[in-house]
Amino acid sequence: MTRSLTAAVARALGDIVGRDHVITDPDRLVVYESDGLTAYRVAPRAVVLPGSTEELAAVVRLLHGEGIAVIPRGAGTGLSGGALPTLDGVVVGTARMNRILEIDPVNRLARVQPGVINARLTEATRPHGLYYAPDPSSQSTCTLGGNVAENSGGPHCLKYGVTTRYVTGLKVVLAGGEIMELGGAGRTADGSLDLVGLFVGSEGCFGIAAEIEVRLLPLTEGVRTLLGIFETMEAAGHAVTAIISSGLVPAAVEIVDNATIRAVEASVYAGGYPVDAGAALVIEFDGTEAGLDSEADAAEACCHAAGAREVRRATEASQRAKLWNGRKKAFGTMGRIAPDLLVQDATVPRTRLPEVLASITEIGERYRLRVANVFHAGDGNLHPNILFDRNDPDELHRVEQASLEIMKLCVAVGGTITGEHGVGVDKRGYMKLVHGPDELAAMAEVKRVFDPTGLFNPGKVLPDVEAAHR
Amino acid sequence: MSAVSVPPGGVTSRLAQELEVQRERLLPCVHCGFCLPACPTYNRLGDENDSPRGRLHLMKAVVEGRLDPASDAFHTHIDRCLGCRACEPVCPSGVEYGTLLELARHTAAEHRPQGRLTRMLLFVMASRALRSLLFAGGRVLRASGLAALGARALPSAGVLRSARFGLAMLAATAAWRMPGVRSSRGVAAPVSDDAKRGTGRRVAVLTGCVQEGLYGRVNQSTMRTLEANGFEVVEVKGQDCCGALHAHGGDLDRARALAKTNVEVFLASGVDLVVVNAAGCGAAMKEYGTLLESDGDDHARARDLASRVRDVTEVLAEVGPRRGAAVECSVAYDHPCHLLHAQRISRPPLQVLDAIPGVEVRVIANAEECCGGAGIYGITHPDLGGRIGADKVAAVRAVGADAVATPNPGCMMQIGAGLVMDGAPEGVVHPVELLDESYRRAGYYGEPSTQRSPG
Amino acid sequence: MSVAASVVHPTSTEEVAVTMRAATADGVGVAVVASGRRFHGARSAERPFLVMCTDRLTGTEIYEPADLTLTAKAGTRLTTLAVELGAQKQWLPYDPPHVEERTLGGLVSTGESGPLWMGYGELRNHVLGLTVVCGDGRVLKLGGRVVKNVAGFDLLKAVVGARGRLGVITSVCVRAFPRPAVDRVLVLRGDSVAALVAVARAVGTAPVMPVSSVLVAPARAPSAGAALLVRLHGAEPTVDADQKTLERHCGVSFERAADAVGLLASARDHVADAEVELTLSVLPSRLGDSLVAVRDVLGDVPFAADTYKGFARVAAGESDSEATSRLRTRIESLGGALTARATDRARDVAGLGSRMAPSAAALTQRLESVFDPKGVLWPCRP
Repeated sequence: MTRSLTAAVARALGDIVGRDHVITDPDRLVVYESDGLTAYRVAPRAVVLPGSTEELAAVVRLLHGEGIAVIPRGAGTGLSGGALPTLDGVVVGTARMNRILEIDPVNRLARVQPGVINARLTEATRPHGLYYAPDPSSQSTCTLGGNVAENSGGPHCLKYGVTTRYVTGLKVVLAGGEIMELGGAGRTADGSLDLVGLFVGSEGCFGIAAEIEVRLLPLTEGVRTLLGIFETMEAAGHAVTAIISSGLVPAAVEIVDNATIRAVEASVYAGGYPVDAGAALVIEFDGTEAGLDSEADAAEACCHAAGAREVRRATEASQRAKLWNGRKKAFGTMGRIAPDLLVQDATVPRTRLPEVLASITEIGERYRLRVANVFHAGDGNLHPNILFDRNDPDELHRVEQASLEIMKLCVAVGGTITGEHGVGVDKRGYMKLVHGPDELAAMAEVKRVFDPTGLFNPGKVLPDVEAAHR
Repeated sequence: MSAVSVPPGGVTSRLAQELEVQRERLLPCVHCGFCLPACPTYNRLGDENDSPRGRLHLMKAVVEGRLDPASDAFHTHIDRCLGCRACEPVCPSGVEYGTLLELARHTAAEHRPQGRLTRMLLFVMASRALRSLLFAGGRVLRASGLAALGARALPSAGVLRSARFGLAMLAATAAWRMPGVRSSRGVAAPVSDDAKRGTGRRVAVLTGCVQEGLYGRVNQSTMRTLEANGFEVVEVKGQDCCGALHAHGGDLDRARALAKTNVEVFLASGVDLVVVNAAGCGAAMKEYGTLLESDGDDHARARDLASRVRDVTEVLAEVGPRRGAAVECSVAYDHPCHLLHAQRISRPPLQVLDAIPGVEVRVIANAEECCGGAGIYGITHPDLGGRIGADKVAAVRAVGADAVATPNPGCMMQIGAGLVMDGAPEGVVHPVELLDESYRRAGYYGEPSTQRSPG
Repeated sequence: MSVAASVVHPTSTEEVAVTMRAATADGVGVAVVASGRRFHGARSAERPFLVMCTDRLTGTEIYEPADLTLTAKAGTRLTTLAVELGAQKQWLPYDPPHVEERTLGGLVSTGESGPLWMGYGELRNHVLGLTVVCGDGRVLKLGGRVVKNVAGFDLLKAVVGARGRLGVITSVCVRAFPRPAVDRVLVLRGDSVAALVAVARAVGTAPVMPVSSVLVAPARAPSAGAALLVRLHGAEPTVDADQKTLERHCGVSFERAADAVGLLASARDHVADAEVELTLSVLPSRLGDSLVAVRDVLGDVPFAADTYKGFARVAAGESDSEATSRLRTRIESLGGALTARATDRARDVAGLGSRMAPSAAALTQRLESVFDPKGVLWPCRP
């Protein structure tokens, strides 16, 4: 059982952020027991929702002073249990720190609070002809603070890169409530280590970003979106390899398999994918209008050469939006076809996609599990979604076995255990598949540099190394 | 990976018992969180207990026997939901939040009675005699100008705050004086035969409770514009309040009783369609099938009726609608949640307005977000309802139109109340009122008479 | 003052590790030399040290053209890799000074992408993995060889651009890119730096993105050839359209220089060859002000500025530390930063290394000690 907070600490938190923004009622804390990964449930001791950098720092100072762990939480959409309340921690949420502080169209920068929703930044900058490039599938709800913590990716990261490429500076709250500025777009020549790069993707284990400076890009002039229909996943995989190696630079190449197509087509986000197709590729090119048709033609040729049944082009913005909605909301639509869902995340070299897909199918069949694939094919970033019912203990066990086998397979072909969802609590056990003891020890030491007392998001990312330290 | 399983047994509440029916509705939530930014209460409070995902999680916890349905947490956060259902269209799993909310409210109300005001209102609304008395009094207050006076004179804080808001809502139900209309507006001989176009379809109009009591003119406009577009409008006696307020308020028993009455009389009338000019009522009637799904034979009949229910803008947009004469004005448009989210109707009201020459439509910012009306939310939750309402009023005023047009009485009253309290010049109007005026000016109703029925 | 005791030429990660362990045991410093061009300050080390030269750590380990990834030993020359990649119509899109002489490890160690970062992203984002030998001989394999990877803390980012402070890089896996069909450099010459800065700002807010935009003043007299060089990559019709859009947006006509890429390179390298090279950064909108500050303090000195980044290299000539300090104050008042690098002969401008807030400096120092607990590396630190 989780210990509750002493009245004095609860009162002190209320004095900092206002009583309405401290949750200590155990009945209400139930809501914060999971993030997007519901396989784990641990209720926090309390939830605190600061409204400013100063409040955030004061909250961290108070909690760390009391020896209480701080569990950062954005929108709670993470899929690796990164916001799971561990070690009797107090959840510190950024939901109220949701202001866009500055949009600087001349320098193409924006400064935001961590609770700003990813898609809202693009909405706000569009009138200036600018947008924020990283577009995780949950962009309509996930926060930029969460994106920084997870170094989030997204379909268009194939061409534009992941979050870390766009974060130019941070104001962070570190252990004990210390506020520190890292980087900054105007201070690239200060000769320091890349502390921003180190902080991005640290999964809340180093501290909390209180202000984020990001680079914006000009809106692209034109876009071409293709839908390639294939009989098999392998054929689609070959098309991906052909496109990437042909020298084309697509903005995105996404793949969905038959099980996913069926789930999506049954939902409000139906994209018009044929339900009898073995696989579909969404391929997109963007940039200057003049060159797009020839690129799209070349990609279409690659699809046909790989055996595509049909290649369609979205000619209107609404069609394109529909195609993308089907892809981006695919995870949520899985709720329709199975009671429980494990969204896996791994990356393999792109040339190995066809064989890996075949092996995943084989693993699924061997463990008698339904696996729905939907992923960023252009990056080799797989998301095999394993469908199951947690009330069936045997099936649950098979899910765990199959997951482990898929991870080992990906590592064996030169890949890794997570491409964008992070390690969180879910993948700590797999860390040893990709990292040796020295690397893990170095990571633990670097964590200690930022967080000497281990009170930021404990029990995440690192396997037992950290536990041994305490 | 490890997993926590749903504990078997331990099911105490009605919600839990009804889970076998509702299981399919609750389980698809995969906790993805896509609903969070769609929720007006979460956006303002930042507490996930006040988000759709959080409320579903509370419901699940009750079902799993981990949370007492009489708890303050369950009661407060289920009660604080506006019921706007903006979370439904963004839910990839298609969770039927509105239905679950009604059930949760029902459970919460069983374990912990609603506030006295809510209970009294629901009681009054379920009785034709009582509510006609209430609305008659309301009309007197409105006509005498006392409502408007009180809305401006009463203090905006303290115990009289809710009274002030209530009077403002009442004052806001007065008809908007459209540009170019003299004080005593003429209406309307019956639609002349040659003006009818003849779709051959027979329709009934839900007269409703609040509609009948305070917006009789909107009902009149609805019938006339339907006739002018060729529908045969049949009067159906014995119809009652749709029960939406009761269902939303957790009083499912009264809601079901009212629904059964309506199913009975409307089916007996043999009409093709039941036309509704209040988005909240339309949404409720389209879901009669769900409301009565465990009622055996009634279930099939309820589904039959539900399939015949249409919003007035839906039927008008489907046939055209025919164009009338110019009504020179600008209107701010706001989507009613129960039209946009619950019925997924977005274009038809705009098509109706577009059919009126001279009307310039300006869709307001965040038009897809709830105005905070949600029945009597502004009275039961003055702080939060006030904040949400103030944001909506600001968005309306930002477009600088002559009036705000929205096809739902609840929204008309909520936004109108905000405008009244602000002393704002903007009027409030139902789109069919404007269409009606346009037809009147076009002479579809014969020569304008000098009398106008009250209401 | 100390003289290098010896020079070692390891051929493998293991040999580097053995050397580092021995150095740690003996309390000897290790100065790493890649191409050698940037190795200065041997006379300034405070204790005995040996020189480790990576010139025998060479060769491509894995090259998957279809995957656009390449792994090579750190001492491999970029020109060598360019040949191998070029055969597959691929390349590494980085253009810092003297890129032709650099090694892969040297490039990664400095973290310098050059102005092409704008079109392709910074080098730090495209180093997929690397092997680094820490100061105490621990061998760390960081990252991997896939293009997306968030498995654990991103220590790799700290090593890229650390200039050898954290360890000796022995192997690097980088992302390769398809070579563009057309590589066009648009040139606008002018006597007035201010006028060119104004055009550069227009380029910076144009609806199309060139892959780089560089303002150079290569010689002492600006009339001898200040120029704005804007580079476009892509298919022929794309590049044509982008050029038109740019010219319309900026209200100028660019010329196409015959050997514009060469012009770009020579202007850039000329500045880097100066005895005292200053690097300054500001927000792009402050670049004009910062170049005015440079002229006020140092006179008409050659410089090469990345106008997208607000970053400039300035050849400070025989400027003294008093002048550079004054310039630094001016740049900092513009919200920017300035560091100096000097050849041996001009050591007296030392002390203009990195300047961080005390808290960040303390954090940095603790990080360095994670990788190099005994302080073996960087015996010649400024």
